[in-house]
Amino acid sequence: MSASTRSVAFDTPAREKAADAFGMWVFVGSEAMLFGAVMLVFFVARVSYGPAFAAASKHLSLTLGTLNTAVLITSSFTMALAHFYSDARRWRAAVGTLAATALLGIAFLAIKGTEYAMEFHEGIAPVLGAPFTFDGPDPVHAAFFFGLYFTMTALHGLHLACGIIVVAGLLALWRGADASSRKRRVQAVGLYWHFVDVVWVFLFPVLYLINR
Amino acid sequence: MSSDAATQLSYLDEGAGPRAWLLTTDHKRVAWLYLVSLTAFFFLGGAFAVLMRLELATPGGDLVSDDVYNRLFSLHGIIMVWFFLVPSIPATLGNFLLPLMIGARDLAFPRLNLASWYVFVFGSLFALFSVLAGGVDTGWTFYTPLSTLYANGFVSTAAMGVFIVGFSSIMTGINFIVTVHTLRAPGLTWFRLPIFVWTIYATALVMVLATPVLAASLILIVLERVFGIGIFNPDLGGDPLLFQHLFWFYSHPAVYIMILPGMGVVSEVLPCFSRRPLFGYKAVALSSMAIAVFGFLVWGHHMFVSGQSAYAGVIFSFLSFCVAIPSAIKVFNWSLTLRKGEITFEAPMLYALFFLALFTFGGLAGLFLAALAVDVHVHDTYFVVAHFHYIMVGGMVTAYMAGLHFWWPKMTGRMYSETWGRIAAAATFIGFNLTFFPQFVLGFLGMPRRYHTYPPEFQFWHVLSSAGAVVLAAGYLMPLFYLGWSLFRGARAPDNPWGATGLEWQTASPPPPHNFERMPRVSRPPYAYAMKGLKHERFSPHKETTGETAA
Amino acid sequence: MSEIRKLAVAYVSLLLLLALTVGSSFFDLGGFNSGLNLAIAVAKAVIIATLFMHLATAGTLPRLAVAAAGLWLAILFGLTLAGQWGNGS
Repeated sequence: MSASTRSVAFDTPAREKAADAFGMWVFVGSEAMLFGAVMLVFFVARVSYGPAFAAASKHLSLTLGTLNTAVLITSSFTMALAHFYSDARRWRAAVGTLAATALLGIAFLAIKGTEYAMEFHEGIAPVLGAPFTFDGPDPVHAAFFFGLYFTMTALHGLHLACGIIVVAGLLALWRGADASSRKRRVQAVGLYWHFVDVVWVFLFPVLYLINR
Repeated sequence: MSSDAATQLSYLDEGAGPRAWLLTTDHKRVAWLYLVSLTAFFFLGGAFAVLMRLELATPGGDLVSDDVYNRLFSLHGIIMVWFFLVPSIPATLGNFLLPLMIGARDLAFPRLNLASWYVFVFGSLFALFSVLAGGVDTGWTFYTPLSTLYANGFVSTAAMGVFIVGFSSIMTGINFIVTVHTLRAPGLTWFRLPIFVWTIYATALVMVLATPVLAASLILIVLERVFGIGIFNPDLGGDPLLFQHLFWFYSHPAVYIMILPGMGVVSEVLPCFSRRPLFGYKAVALSSMAIAVFGFLVWGHHMFVSGQSAYAGVIFSFLSFCVAIPSAIKVFNWSLTLRKGEITFEAPMLYALFFLALFTFGGLAGLFLAALAVDVHVHDTYFVVAHFHYIMVGGMVTAYMAGLHFWWPKMTGRMYSETWGRIAAAATFIGFNLTFFPQFVLGFLGMPRRYHTYPPEFQFWHVLSSAGAVVLAAGYLMPLFYLGWSLFRGARAPDNPWGATGLEWQTASPPPPHNFERMPRVSRPPYAYAMKGLKHERFSPHKETTGETAA
Repeated sequence: MSEIRKLAVAYVSLLLLLALTVGSSFFDLGGFNSGLNLAIAVAKAVIIATLFMHLATAGTLPRLAVAAAGLWLAILFGLTLAGQWGNGS
């Protein structure tokens, strides 16, 4: 009822903040099911065609993949800092760390885009009718690996892009928002951002580090 | 308990223009947005069914070609399942009643609630496009490799439509879960919640946890069709069976998304019209949660003949028998609620009793299908069609009608015509059984599903079924008219026309914008009918309505 | 400041775990590489969830959400794999 709750349903901002966090956690659980299902498809294929998948995995750029993991972990760190600063009402620091988070997210997508370009160039991107010229053994199942690789990383990239847009929107609306809205929004987008990071934490070893 | 309805401003008085409705965040108005859109889809899906029954009245393919028939049953299934049944009770009655029943001013995230409707509309545009552009012929299940390699309809757009509507379900689910956890009125402990809230909560849980898996499988289909990634294509290393696992991981629990809220409605209506507390309240409440969990363990029974491993078949068969137990607990408790009750037969009660009969019957038929050996005989026959229509239509749609009539006075502030309500209820019961009972016989005799022609010896049963469909259609069309009429001409409803317990009856009909003038406190268990020290006037609907219903 | 220290410790350990998982992939651990990689991924996820996402101090409800998702993922994987490979094929 008071002016500082967003929803008429809540009496106090503190109660609403707790409900917001819970809502985000439920959403994160739901998203985990989405990625879990895709991972399951990958897992079944990985066990069925182990050697082909291992051979195909070697064609991904381990350097760029590792770099990207570091970038994303760093962005999660800056996001966690932004949460801390906004709770402490240190608004300048919060804005700075949020901007850094979004920029790191963009950097991740840029590196990922470079990887995609390299893979198209090398002819190991069996999507959109691009020519597929894999010279290892069992090219059919290698193509399956790359199909899953593009599906999973693109799905993740899409989530990250959404996260960047939301952080940008949050910054655009920053001046007009009161303290409790700012805290609530940073908390919510933070939970989402960290979740997207967790997804990558699993995607990275599963795709890049298939042992030979 | 509330002030005089005539002097108080209700949620319906808060502006009448399109802006006031389309930009509302009031859960009661969002419920109406859903109600109107879902009604449209219900009749669209129904029209496809009527065309199919017309075609099946004769053994030959006289009315439509095989290809058109494939599209008819696919669109009927897609629209009825994804665009009517899954959102039906949660998005309309659930949206309207959940905050009222727990004594809250609104859902936890009112804007998310409105957004979910827009997402629903956006997704439904994709589906409507697929209908208008020429249809889909994969069946509602989008099975691979048919859907990815062979189907030539608008599979991708239809699948995208279902995918997007899935998001609206997830949004609704999150909203309900958070609302039930955080916004219950003081004193409203978990075991004082009405069963309707329990079932909506269980439904929301299934929506949130299962829908993403469906989303994943649909994305993968679209990727395979559009981008040529061979995820379910065996030639490219994929596995079509994996699609069925992912699909049924959602779609079996989706059966419980569809039936649980119906069970909730019936658990409200039966005690009210028999003036008895719900028998075994805790067992009914907990069995809802049990259904939500165990419903996830049985999807393999859709795949008994799909080539999954034999051991898995045995496990899934066993688990499928187990999942009948919580439903049976509910049926026994509902039946015992009626015992020694002062039963009256208003329209909602008629619908609820019909639910009880049809759901029990359909559920028992389900046990036949859960038995591995029997399933091999009746798999993909009309036996299966009859079984799930007894649950989905006989169960869910009947419960939906019960709820719609029961809470209509609360939602609109008007009484519907009781006479017409009873006639419509009777018509649906007769029409339903006439339509679908013959299909059990047909299936057992070996009539397969999804064929537009059949040997002449099946015609007797098919004609009965088609005749029943006409009666059933009439039974569903009648409420459209008398409920619509009551909106303008119905007698004013009192706050609590049925003398029911529950917080939603303690506020005005229709409720004020923020539901309660004074926030309620709860100090007693639910369904306090006929409890010592509590008076509940037995309400006569005829007393306060106008002449046309008093007859 | 202790809060920032906590976050910094989490960040550094995440980077160390990343180095560990990448480094381990250059050695043949006789079939245990994937297992180790997954274990490290779980460890990283736990760090992110408890410290960055404040699961450690967030109360019952968020933990309930995580537990539910975990249980349902287990059902999804367990029964699907039982269906796929129950014959031992």
